[in-house]
Amino acid sequence: MATPLIVHGGGSDPQRKPGVGAWLFLAPMLGWLMLFVVVPTCLLVIMSFAERGTLGRVVYNFSFDNYVRIFSNGPILHIFLLSIWYAFLTTVICIVVGYPVGYFIGRLPERWRNLCLALVMIPFWTSFLIRTYAWISLLSKEGLINGLLMSAQIIPAPLGMLYTPFAVVLGLVYNFLPFMILPIYSSAERLDGAMIEAAYDLGAGPLRAFSQVIIPLTQPGIAAGALLVFVPSIGMFAITSLMGGGTNPTIGEVIFNQFMKVGDKPYGAALGTLLLALFLLSIWIMRLTRKEA
Amino acid sequence: MKRNALASTLGALAAVFLLAGCDKPAPTSQATPPPPATSTENAPATVEPAVETPAATPEPVAAAEPKVLNLYCWSEYVPQTVIDAFQAKTGIKVSVENYASNEEMLTKLLAGGGSYDLIQPSEYVIQALIKEKLLEPINHANIPNLKNIAPEFQNMAFDPGNQYSVPWMAGTVGIVINTDLIKDDIKSYDDVFQDKYKGNIVVLDDAREIVSWGLASQGIPINDVTDENLEKIKPVLTKWLPLVKVYDSDSPKTALLNGDVAVGIVWNGEGAKLLQENAKFKWVLPTGAHLFVDSLAIPKGAKHPQNAQAFINFILEPEISKMISAEVPYLNPNQPARELLSEAEKANAASFPSVEELQKMEIFEDIGPQATKVDELVTNVKSR
Repeated sequence: MATPLIVHGGGSDPQRKPGVGAWLFLAPMLGWLMLFVVVPTCLLVIMSFAERGTLGRVVYNFSFDNYVRIFSNGPILHIFLLSIWYAFLTTVICIVVGYPVGYFIGRLPERWRNLCLALVMIPFWTSFLIRTYAWISLLSKEGLINGLLMSAQIIPAPLGMLYTPFAVVLGLVYNFLPFMILPIYSSAERLDGAMIEAAYDLGAGPLRAFSQVIIPLTQPGIAAGALLVFVPSIGMFAITSLMGGGTNPTIGEVIFNQFMKVGDKPYGAALGTLLLALFLLSIWIMRLTRKEA
Repeated sequence: MKRNALASTLGALAAVFLLAGCDKPAPTSQATPPPPATSTENAPATVEPAVETPAATPEPVAAAEPKVLNLYCWSEYVPQTVIDAFQAKTGIKVSVENYASNEEMLTKLLAGGGSYDLIQPSEYVIQALIKEKLLEPINHANIPNLKNIAPEFQNMAFDPGNQYSVPWMAGTVGIVINTDLIKDDIKSYDDVFQDKYKGNIVVLDDAREIVSWGLASQGIPINDVTDENLEKIKPVLTKWLPLVKVYDSDSPKTALLNGDVAVGIVWNGEGAKLLQENAKFKWVLPTGAHLFVDSLAIPKGAKHPQNAQAFINFILEPEISKMISAEVPYLNPNQPARELLSEAEKANAASFPSVEELQKMEIFEDIGPQATKVDELVTNVKSR
């Protein structure tokens, strides 16, 4: 049973169990997950049943009060739905914009690929806040875009682009696009050119080859990208408050406020726990639909 | 197929770590490694603050205290020039950590107890911290410059006799109008929140502030934050908040400067900067405006209380206090420092309200758990 240090990646032999060596290799990763994912998550869930004490302290009296408060508060549902809607829009736009880019880079000759990937990544070496403030000075009424359009006499008066839902989605797409491009790139890179040739040989046109061969083969990349964009978009608070002006609070902002402004950490923890449950649910549904496919 | 998906996910997760430097700038700390002789200096940073090091016995003699000061203050509130001058004069190394809200400060203070020597809470937090016995008393013999604080800022209700705190800066919240865009006379909160200014208003992203404006407009004292009164102002906020374009507490002047909005309700320091920037901006103090006072205080169990008091005394020097005013033009409580300011600075209506205006202002009191209801009301009205 205890095979030497060979860790099988694929499912070539589903009967095979990992040996001691494999566990040894996994130990650092498991330790990391335990310390920085499992333990904090447990703390979050435990805190969600606690109470707010004086000066924002957490008093561990077990109760469901925070959850009762969430479910008896109508507007919070609206806030959840709005956050999901922004995240959904962001994901769809990222797929539409990111797919051609990822696919194109994946099909490039090898020496060009790394250069293009670097070009996708380099803007993100700048601090997140600086990039967001850059958007603010681009989009504001006396900003660069309005100045350009007005001096070219394309528009008579400045457009109010900043502090709108448009600005929020733009900011989200801009920040999460690489998370879509990279997985799609990686599955496009693996795509066997012979499959596409075969599709053409068998009489498929470009549209049919794309929709029935290329898309299904790169589907894992799309799915991974969608998850990587959708999940963090829901909880994002900095972009929605900086570029959206904070007029329509998202769930990320409400949770942030509980911890940083109101000092009601248990309530924030309960909202966080619900959000987590929502993520788990969405991943579970995705797995179900993939099995059926 | 599955493996492919996993590989894609992991590839992008690697990207996550590259991108992860986001959200907030890490707390700045200019602390250089302490000299080797005084190893106890490291004590504040270690995980067990409860352990008493020899140098940190209660009430140490001034000479026995290592030359370090751990300052925990608001971001962009303590100028670097002031810290450098203090280090140059006393040889005390100041390590600075920043916070963006009183609640953030409290969270860290209560969790880490004892690693900070000096904090900078607002008045209602001082009141609560004194009540909970979480501050060290200050020794007035160590702070002769306390006399520089104007009489109206000494002996305030949140800390009678200044036993625990010394004012850093005071301020208020008022209305800034871009007179290029708005010609009407605006005098009150109700004047700001008119339908014709929809989408042209910036206000502080601060639930307690917003609620206090609602209370003031209804003639209710701003500290009467009862459930009943919150219910009373709900229709007022429901009318007001849909008119707002931007909520911003960190830099509300940005939206006004960029022309994205025409009127704002902002901190007076931000208002003062706008007035300096361009004469088209006008400052109006509405009825019901409140006074805030941010003070310096020493948390219980601080390891370097003598250094902290030396710092307090240092910033009360008129010349030093003037440097602070130059960078953060709030209402400086330091009388001789005010006299050193330029005529333009002194005449800035946003920085320095008149004596009559000051006398009318109330001060926020700690409202405890009602803070939760205040936030919920504002969040819910916003999200309609």
